[in-house]
Amino acid sequence: MASDQNNQPRQIGGELVIPIIAVVFTLYFFSTIWNSPWTAQVSAFLVGGVLLLVCAIFFVRCVMLLRRGEGTLGFANLVTMEDIRTGRVGLLFTTIAYVVLIDRLGFTLTTFLFLTSSMLILAKGRNPAFIALISGVMALTGWAVFIWAFDTRFPHGLFETAMKAVLTDG
Amino acid sequence: MDSSTAAILNEVFFDTIGYWYVILPTIFLGLIVGGIPGFSAANTIIILMPLTLAMDLQTGLIFMISLYCSSRMGAGIPAILVNIPGTAGAAATPLDGYPMAKQGKGQQALAISFVASCIGGLLTTLIALATMPLLARVGFYMHSVEMIVVMLFGISLIASIAAQDMVKGLIAGFLGLMIGSIGTDVVYATPRGTFGFLELYDGVPLIPALVGLFAVSEALIIIEKRIIINHEAEIKKASWHDTFEGVSIALKRWWHIMWTSVIGLVIGVIPGAGASIASFVAYQQSRSFSKTPELYGTGHPEGLIAPESANNGVTSGTLVPLLVLGIPGGATAAIMLVVMQFHGVSFGPSLFEDQPKVGYGMFMAMAVCYAVMIFTILPLSRYMSHVTTIPTIYLAPMIISFTLVGGFVPREYMFDMYLALGFGVLGYIARRTGYHVAAILIGVILGPLLEKYFLWSLKKSDGDIMVLFSSTLGNILWVAFAASIILPIVFGMRRKRKSEVVIQ
Repeated sequence: MASDQNNQPRQIGGELVIPIIAVVFTLYFFSTIWNSPWTAQVSAFLVGGVLLLVCAIFFVRCVMLLRRGEGTLGFANLVTMEDIRTGRVGLLFTTIAYVVLIDRLGFTLTTFLFLTSSMLILAKGRNPAFIALISGVMALTGWAVFIWAFDTRFPHGLFETAMKAVLTDG
Repeated sequence: MDSSTAAILNEVFFDTIGYWYVILPTIFLGLIVGGIPGFSAANTIIILMPLTLAMDLQTGLIFMISLYCSSRMGAGIPAILVNIPGTAGAAATPLDGYPMAKQGKGQQALAISFVASCIGGLLTTLIALATMPLLARVGFYMHSVEMIVVMLFGISLIASIAAQDMVKGLIAGFLGLMIGSIGTDVVYATPRGTFGFLELYDGVPLIPALVGLFAVSEALIIIEKRIIINHEAEIKKASWHDTFEGVSIALKRWWHIMWTSVIGLVIGVIPGAGASIASFVAYQQSRSFSKTPELYGTGHPEGLIAPESANNGVTSGTLVPLLVLGIPGGATAAIMLVVMQFHGVSFGPSLFEDQPKVGYGMFMAMAVCYAVMIFTILPLSRYMSHVTTIPTIYLAPMIISFTLVGGFVPREYMFDMYLALGFGVLGYIARRTGYHVAAILIGVILGPLLEKYFLWSLKKSDGDIMVLFSSTLGNILWVAFAASIILPIVFGMRRKRKSEVVIQ
């Protein structure tokens, strides 16, 4: 991929994402401290001011690169078809689903479902039995270590409630 | 050291050795909890508090200290193998540790890290033991003004990281500092940049930021490859030779281990400062005064030794203010204080007169633990390094699931998991577009501390900025800071001139 990128014009569109996030966030931050006491403002204005200045320098540099034809506003360094082929997009979606569902289904069941689904996506459906086995072992090990042994307050669901009842009442 | 002190030290040494059955399993527990983001030694001691309180004082202290030392070392293992620091104190470790692992030198990197950690920890424990009264005074002299300069030592690492592309590096670093400013200000508690989330009023929690920027983004990146190590790197059969080579590399740099661990010790003594500051400062100073600064970040052993020996130097440093002044130097030391008070131990200089075995015993437990660790952990490097050969289709989902829930552990807010996911996406975009996630993290970690000390200084001086140059020690530190920035540039220019002369 690196060698491909060397042959292509620089993908400035992707590189602009972080500075744009930085500028938007800094301006939002300034809006929250505009009427605050000086103690809340001094450091933020100092750091934010430098950040805006550095971002401005970067934007100027990008314009110059675009004018010289050394870069494009493309996003090929950030989003490509490779992301679908490698399963990265699928992994991102399963990760989002994991965070959303863990509070409802509990740690063990959600971890099992997440591991199985994401490994199947990445393995393109190969070895489903092996994947289900290691996902089950990992999820159960996690439950045994974090919830049963260490008694951490990981999100509880059906499995945790059932196991607690079994272990308490025998 | 008088003969009675020597006799006490001798006695507590053999006493501590007798607790090998506590030390050994605790070392392994510490390595595990240190390696999982969110499960620090402090958290684990809190979780196991009922067990700790049920033990007699000596067993409890040896247990806590062994857990403290080993978890510090354990945090470096995933940092080296999968680019995921177990704690913020190991955040500088992957800068050179992970490139080594990708080059197929994971076993060597682990051996270097273990030797640097153990020697650094052992050495600073002995120094702390010998210079306790002197070190205890460091905390008194380090006020907000001096701490600002110490923070700047760490933050200047952003500029080094940014060396390849200064503008992008500075954007990443200052974005981190800006994110670190989220939360209420330390004087009037005015909420700033919180997007209305109450969970952000205390600032951005470090573990979700660490998990997202390093672990989640790394998991999304590594799936491009079949295994972590580069395809060009030959997958060798693990052998003892690599471990011995790593040990040899580390021992040849014994002086480097020594001075970077002393940085950790001095920073550890300062209440409120911690391993993350020490490791960043040590890494930056190591790079500044290196003959080969250009190799840092590419898998340079010295870049791995510096943060590892420094963050283990912090462990003994945090004990000094705890024992001599009764002021804990960090979260784990604060929990130790609770346990010791439960057992009726009084702190301050009188501790070493009234209960010398407890005072000296804690340092001796630390020394014994580091000595035991080197022999128990080093052989494991051969097996641990296999992590880099696990197919990424299995490794990436495991990293995501276990580190995301690790982000939940410290505060037990579901919000923190969403935050870790958000940082993961930010980290992924940053990595793909050439921004350094370590620069963002340095800002997130050190930004709020710098702001806190800066505001305290200004508040004390009624807004007079010249307060920054008002103390003798502060001015000495400013000069040292300026020297650490200017001298490497001068040395670099001199080296460049010399090499040009050689070429001609």
